[in-house]
Amino acid sequence: MRTYLVKRLLLIVPTLLGAATLVFLIMRVIPGDVALLIFGGDAAGHIDPKQLAAMREKLGLNDPLYVQFGTWLWGVVRFDFGTSLWTGQPVIEELLIRLPLSLELALFATMVSVVIAIPLGMLAAVRQDTWVDYVVRVFSIGGLAIPGFWVGILTILGLVIFFGWGPPLEFTPPWVDPWANFSMMVWPIVTVGYRFSAVTTRMTRSTVLEVLREDYIRTAWAKGLAERAVVIRHALKNSMLPVITLIGTEFAFLIGGLVVTETVFTLNGIGRFVVDAVAHRDYPVVQALIFLTAFSFVIVNLLVDLTYAWFDPRIRYG
Amino acid sequence: MARRILRDRLMVAVLMVGVLLTAVEAQETPRRGGVLLSAIGADAPSLDAHQEQTFATLQPIAPLYSTLLQIDPYRYPHVIGDVASEWTISPDALTYTFKIRPGIRFHDGSPLTSADVKASYDKILFPPEGVRSIRKHHYSAVAGVEAPDSGTVVFKLKFPSASLLVNLASPWNVIYPKKYLDKDPNYFKKNVVGSGPFKFKSYTRGSSFEGERNPDYYVKDRPYLNGYKFFISTETSVRAAAVRSGRAHIEFRDLPLSEAESIKKQLGDKVVVQQTPFVIHFDIAMNNTVKPFTDVRVRKALTLGLDRYTGGRVLYPLTGLRDVGGLTRPGTEWAMSPAELETFPGFGRDAEKNRAEAKKLLAEAGYPNGFKVVLKNRNVKLPYQDFAVFVIQEWRKIGIEAEHRPLETATWYADGRDQGNFEVMVFPTGAFVDDPDQLLAPYLTGSPQNWARFSNPAIDDLYARQARTLDPVERRKLVVELQKIVLENAYHMPGLWWSRNVVHWAKVKNWIAPPSHFTNQKLQDVWLSED
Repeated sequence: MRTYLVKRLLLIVPTLLGAATLVFLIMRVIPGDVALLIFGGDAAGHIDPKQLAAMREKLGLNDPLYVQFGTWLWGVVRFDFGTSLWTGQPVIEELLIRLPLSLELALFATMVSVVIAIPLGMLAAVRQDTWVDYVVRVFSIGGLAIPGFWVGILTILGLVIFFGWGPPLEFTPPWVDPWANFSMMVWPIVTVGYRFSAVTTRMTRSTVLEVLREDYIRTAWAKGLAERAVVIRHALKNSMLPVITLIGTEFAFLIGGLVVTETVFTLNGIGRFVVDAVAHRDYPVVQALIFLTAFSFVIVNLLVDLTYAWFDPRIRYG
Repeated sequence: MARRILRDRLMVAVLMVGVLLTAVEAQETPRRGGVLLSAIGADAPSLDAHQEQTFATLQPIAPLYSTLLQIDPYRYPHVIGDVASEWTISPDALTYTFKIRPGIRFHDGSPLTSADVKASYDKILFPPEGVRSIRKHHYSAVAGVEAPDSGTVVFKLKFPSASLLVNLASPWNVIYPKKYLDKDPNYFKKNVVGSGPFKFKSYTRGSSFEGERNPDYYVKDRPYLNGYKFFISTETSVRAAAVRSGRAHIEFRDLPLSEAESIKKQLGDKVVVQQTPFVIHFDIAMNNTVKPFTDVRVRKALTLGLDRYTGGRVLYPLTGLRDVGGLTRPGTEWAMSPAELETFPGFGRDAEKNRAEAKKLLAEAGYPNGFKVVLKNRNVKLPYQDFAVFVIQEWRKIGIEAEHRPLETATWYADGRDQGNFEVMVFPTGAFVDDPDQLLAPYLTGSPQNWARFSNPAIDDLYARQARTLDPVERRKLVVELQKIVLENAYHMPGLWWSRNVVHWAKVKNWIAPPSHFTNQKLQDVWLSED
């Protein structure tokens, strides 16, 4: 296990290097001039050539490619992603403002979804084609079919109309004021958690159903084991690998992919930051965010792989 | 007739009650303290008011700055001084001399002098390379600005200007400290150093903008508030919910009538709804430099295809877009009469006849089956996107298939104003007062507000002549003549004039909604009766 862990940790380095190279090259090989792009193109031919030259110099685009790559990579190693062209602030500072919110939302929404999805998915599988199964399926199809922003707006309106209360409009970190944080974050967490749980419930149901049809489960029943032992110890544990993979991928997505939820709940998170950065042609920010998204996927995948061994003893890392 | 008299009397009664309420409120003792919370529908493209034209910039930064003159918060559109304590106009109306109040300090502690006023106006009137000046056309009469001593500013004119005083009261013309402009004329796009009633406290892009009381403000005992804070949300329903729940005390720009009524119904006397007309019309800019909009027949067809009268009825409860008008606000001294207006393409009351005419023109222009077009828009729902949906639906009836493409505010400005990267685009035209210099500048050759990018020397000439005509009757003739040329040639496609519903908690005192969301935003006299 230790050898595997070391190997996987060492593998992160070339993976991230590849991601950094890709991010760097994408920004340079895409058609057009990045400096020109920042000014919004030259459809009307109004851009001052001096300003354009100054922007190219500022971005280091006049240096040879390997020098540019080296500078970018050295910056990444030191968590220095440059300065936002839009706000004039260091990109890392802009990120750190938003990261706690996005991490909190992703983490708790994932927890909510797991708490809802695994028992429900398991129950639906064990009681297949009964009313319990139908209710769970309606619940999960509802989560997939109803747009998150609509649930979000209805939640806010429901709170305001029936209770005369609305969630705060500005994020307060939990270590500053836990109650203010809870008041704001609980609603998007539940909204996102519900949608996420819908996917996970369906996955849990289908994988548990598959495992329940395996020979070793039939053997367990034949041995006279209690339902609880058969389902939880043998079926559930063995059906969790695809579910864990799904949870991991969704979690990584949630960190930067909740643009609409963030808009509805006025959350200043990474998702809106990405969209704004693209809209403002804030090239250092876009570059940093793509890299950090890749980084979060790599880390989450590593954690997912490590949990495989616990769930499936047949997997031995060596 | 009897019903009309009754309605008029009712209106007078309502107005009198309003005046009485204002008088009662005026007698209340202002309370100090508290932070005014507001919801706002967009984030600022930049913080430099000289270079921007959106409420998203002006509303958050207006309380941080002073201007030379200002529109009286209580008597729109009367002009009063701000940093100017008094002024004189020479008999030939070519020299305006302003005395600057002594003792005004910027928030960095430096004194505000005539040199700062001159530097700020020089930036607006004669912008250096790389600096945009949205409203320089409003000051075509000004030959130069002088600062003979630290307490005097002189505006020298090339010809008399009918609107100069009003234009100098523009809330956009904030006074910047000269020393920062000297270093970088774009410094204030990302920084704030003002001399207004509030000081800059914090700005989290996409989230909030906050100001705190300036204890050294030149007006004694002002402001009453300890601070103010804007929360940014592009969702109208979220902003309405924020006001309804008390998370925001006010939404300064506008909420749809349906939301305003719903909030009033739920909260009763706890909230106040101020309804006013709006010096803004929502239009479509057709890029006159791009085919097929280089063809006047196509432009006329598109404007004929819009049934404005139905639009006003349908869109009003949802958006506040209501009145059919030309390029100046209906009902004002500068507007054409409804009968006169109906003679122009798209303003006739028979929508079917208009559509038949539109199809005929499209066929003549070589598009018998219509064509496809991209309608770019700002990603602000109220009223941009609702208006666009209506327009697209109307155009479909004449064979025009428009794809709706909402853009983030900065991109919308970049594509529309800066680059001309569009075919048709939702484009509001507004001003802080009903003044022809301001409302007609978007139709001038080369104006940054001329998003449609057309040029007609006759329009430029009429604009210049009306700007220097001091006789109101003669000036009106020129103003109407200019509008006729724009409408006859369908250079630009007017949509509907907006109306304004400002919803705020009753505890927000001493703030009156003018017919513009750009004026009365300094908040120096506003107070909260409770936290």
